[in-house]
Amino acid sequence: MLWGMNIVSTSELRRVYGEGETAVHALRGITTAFPSGQFAAIMGPSGSGKSTLMHLLAGLDRPTAGSVLVDGSELADLDDKALTRLRRDRLGFVFQAFNLVPVLSAEENILLPVTIGGGDVDREWIDRLIDTVGLRDRLRHRPAEMSGGQQQRVAVARALATRPAVIFADEPTGNLDSRTSGEILDLLRRSVDELGQTVVMVTHEPFAAAVADRLLVLADGRIVHDGEAETADGVLDLMKAVA
Amino acid sequence: MLKIALRGLLARRLRLVLTLAAIVAGVMLVSGTYVFTDTINRSFDRIFSASYAGIDVAVTRPDRPESEFTDSPPLPAALVDRIRGVEGVEAVEGALFDEGTVLGKDGKRINEGGGAPNFITSVSTFEDFSAVEVPEGRLPQRPGEAAIDKATADREGFDVGDPIDVQGAGERETLRIVGVTKVAGVDNFGGATILATTLPEAQRLLGNPGYDEIDVAAEQGLTPEELAARLRPVIGRDGTVRTGDQEADEQTSQIQDDLSFLNTALLAFAGIALFVGGFSIFNTFSITVAQRTREFGLLRTMGASRAQVLRSVLAEGALLGLVGGAVGVGAGILVASGLRELMQAFGFDVPSQGTVVESRTIIVAIVVGLLVTVLASLAPALRATRVSPLAALREDAVIEHRRSRVAPILGGVLLSAGVALMVAGLFFASGETGTLSLLGGGAAAAFLGVALLSPRLVGPLSRMVGFVAGRGLTGRLARENSVRQPGRTAVTAAALMVGVALVAFASIFAGSTGDFIERNIQQSSRSQAVVQNTDGWSPFPHATTRAVAEIDGVAAVTALRFLDVVEPGDEDESTGVVGIDQRTAARTINLTWDRGDDRTWERLRGDTAILSKDEAEDRGVGVGDRITVRTTGDQLLRLEVVGIHDDESVFLGPILVSNDIVKARWGDDDDSTVFVAYRDGADPQPAIDRLLTERFPAAEVLSNDEWVDEQAGQVNQLLGLIYALLSLAVVVSLFGIVNTLYLSITERTRELGLLRAVGTTRKQVKRMIRGEAAIIALIGSVLGLGLGVLLALLVGQAIDGFTITIPVVSLLVVLVLGGLAGVLAAIWPARRAARMDVLQALAYE
Repeated sequence: MLWGMNIVSTSELRRVYGEGETAVHALRGITTAFPSGQFAAIMGPSGSGKSTLMHLLAGLDRPTAGSVLVDGSELADLDDKALTRLRRDRLGFVFQAFNLVPVLSAEENILLPVTIGGGDVDREWIDRLIDTVGLRDRLRHRPAEMSGGQQQRVAVARALATRPAVIFADEPTGNLDSRTSGEILDLLRRSVDELGQTVVMVTHEPFAAAVADRLLVLADGRIVHDGEAETADGVLDLMKAVA
Repeated sequence: MLKIALRGLLARRLRLVLTLAAIVAGVMLVSGTYVFTDTINRSFDRIFSASYAGIDVAVTRPDRPESEFTDSPPLPAALVDRIRGVEGVEAVEGALFDEGTVLGKDGKRINEGGGAPNFITSVSTFEDFSAVEVPEGRLPQRPGEAAIDKATADREGFDVGDPIDVQGAGERETLRIVGVTKVAGVDNFGGATILATTLPEAQRLLGNPGYDEIDVAAEQGLTPEELAARLRPVIGRDGTVRTGDQEADEQTSQIQDDLSFLNTALLAFAGIALFVGGFSIFNTFSITVAQRTREFGLLRTMGASRAQVLRSVLAEGALLGLVGGAVGVGAGILVASGLRELMQAFGFDVPSQGTVVESRTIIVAIVVGLLVTVLASLAPALRATRVSPLAALREDAVIEHRRSRVAPILGGVLLSAGVALMVAGLFFASGETGTLSLLGGGAAAAFLGVALLSPRLVGPLSRMVGFVAGRGLTGRLARENSVRQPGRTAVTAAALMVGVALVAFASIFAGSTGDFIERNIQQSSRSQAVVQNTDGWSPFPHATTRAVAEIDGVAAVTALRFLDVVEPGDEDESTGVVGIDQRTAARTINLTWDRGDDRTWERLRGDTAILSKDEAEDRGVGVGDRITVRTTGDQLLRLEVVGIHDDESVFLGPILVSNDIVKARWGDDDDSTVFVAYRDGADPQPAIDRLLTERFPAAEVLSNDEWVDEQAGQVNQLLGLIYALLSLAVVVSLFGIVNTLYLSITERTRELGLLRAVGTTRKQVKRMIRGEAAIIALIGSVLGLGLGVLLALLVGQAIDGFTITIPVVSLLVVLVLGGLAGVLAAIWPARRAARMDVLQALAYE
């Protein structure tokens, strides 16, 4: 498979929490890149730094040293306003839980990043998204009236609404049963294959990682494996080796 | 469990401070009021005690209840000789102390427009009787000499040797200052000016050949009580005999009585602030109890009983109340001096020296703080007991948020009961106290009723005012968030509602009073101008009126004299009697007659009266019948009714008699309000003005328009004071908004984090919070305006001839200010919400 230019790249990325003896080195120098059109999965045991890496890539946290380049912008150069705009227009997010604003309907939640920016709604694109995630009959419902899987599908649609440069998914199937997890992973897969999106997903579930094109494994703040995706069993073996 | 309550409080320090503010404000005004009025009372007590320290027995004008507005007859001069003849009298001297007009260097009455009076008094020649010190110059010894109190001398720039102009019962004249005095050791009588002359000079100036008081000293070995007992049979009904101590107490308690309205009024405002604070506390506890559901569940799994949970929450409330009460007492001491400044700023000056903190003040303030918080936290505490132990195990546990079915019913009942109470107070209660307490209680019940009903109103009202949050997603979110917890929004808004309702009520009422006065003069007057005392209400010498009548261009003058005559057989009931110059009345006054016409005025001679229609109906009399009134010397006077009027203006009371009768039977020869009609085409106002300035500076002339403006000005001044005092309640309710927003933001931390993560800017977050606050505030303002209008209409109904006019523009201004106040309250919560760290917010539990 051929991937395009790098959408996200890092060099010598470090993140230290705290100071002195109690300092925790969450990331100890990560240099990597994510090309467009790729579905990358990041795995690692807890405390390996995988979540920290994602937060730094998404501009939700600031690195102690090193740089992150997203869609041509060096994040360190951006102030809060510019970072916010970047997140709004160029990034998509799917969190493990609490993805939706409870007082807004499914459709309003999907349109959230567009309407916040005051931009025009690309109706055709949104309609296509709604059909892709299969929520046409749920558009008027509020999150509380939907199942967890449906809520997560809304979240995926929302992440895609602005046609972002990259979607960050943080344990998107963590709160779901295996059947609905499959649906969400399938959606992410299709957004890469059919809609040409780029996805970076943090997960600890081997079957989720198996859906991706590429697997990065972190341990103790370093990349210990970077290669093509494996089968779920292969991932499991790999993880055992790391842990 | 107490430990848990304490920990609970300390763990939320910010919330603690915000909640405390709600209690402290009200308690502060309670204790401030007590400190303020106690200090005033103590100051007067000190002044009078010092004044009477050397006087064994004081004989004063007879205590007679005939009329509140007229004095008893002065003590006859011959009484001094009668007293001198009594065995055991060492010394005796008459004294005068009465209101007069003292002019400043600018030729205007000192304290003009202010509340402080001017007095003319005689100086004593007996050192024992005098409480006067003379720091500069000497006491007056000859006619034409005067001494002035130090405070006035300092304020007005008078020195020994300066001329000073005064007007007593006669015309303006010039005296020379020979001394500056301090009375009873204080140099400030609360802004009052005291001019002292020799006794004969004071008698001449005040037109009183007798005395206001006769001071007596007992011979060695005779106690004041024994002397007083000996004097009583000699004085008889000509005067009242008291020992010096008794007289000092009497004067102090009279002033205290006169000022008790101040205490009551200030406490009423404190009560309003506490009432509003109660809403805020209730809301805070409701929210915190909801947020601590899991904690209560955990306590319950560990074996805590429902009663223990209840006690823990109530203990938190009680602790808060105690702390708030204690802080409030301290703050109140500071507020007391602020209150004095406030009163001064609105022209009401009273002496207050030192700071008097009675133990009563501290006890009342703390008990009040405690009661309010415990009462307000009772319902949330009961709700906390409903948490099941299972709640500890569920992540999304909330106390069942069922919509109470009882609340709206109770609200409806309270609202109806409140209105009923107010109606009862306005139309059926006897006496001012009854009316005011029923009115206050009714209003409080109505407020609570609306508060209970308002969760149902929040939705529709939010849709109505929601546009202020603006368009776009932030506006939409603000609107949605405002109705998310209707109960919470309702209580927060209801707190503001109380303040807004009272502000609206006061401004409607003040506006209507202005209109009322203007209509009165337009309808009831055929004259062009009014002459009145420069202080706006005191009587002035009749010679003034006679001189005005002489001026070229003046067609007719009609003097009115206002009496408040106590009913025979009932000391507590009094009726307004108005003396009028019947010879000229037809030319200056446009009376609406029920029985009679303008020729009826001529029949108002001798023992006759014209009654208002209401008074005639009350007494069940008609033309030709007779009524009985009480006159000076406790005599009864029978008056024949010669006419009945249907005039609802402020000038003419229920009983009209001729001024000749007023002078003959009540001994009153001073005029209060004089209507002046001009000849066609003439404008003698400048000439009248000149006359008054040169000879009768106690009075001023105002064209009808000026007079209306002046009356409206007085109303507005009072309104300003009311606004200032109500602002405290409004501030408390704004704290409530801050608190609610802050707690809501905490609850929605993850939501805010999400919004920020997907690209909401800080500015947008702020706008969202501000929008929500504006909606809450506007809901409160709309409810408050509605209630205020209702209240005003109700009270307006109770006053004869009063029509309420709704000042739409002012009310719109109140509405806009209410919304802006909400935005103001949102500044800090909005900033906090915007500053939230996205990652931490997302991880927040």
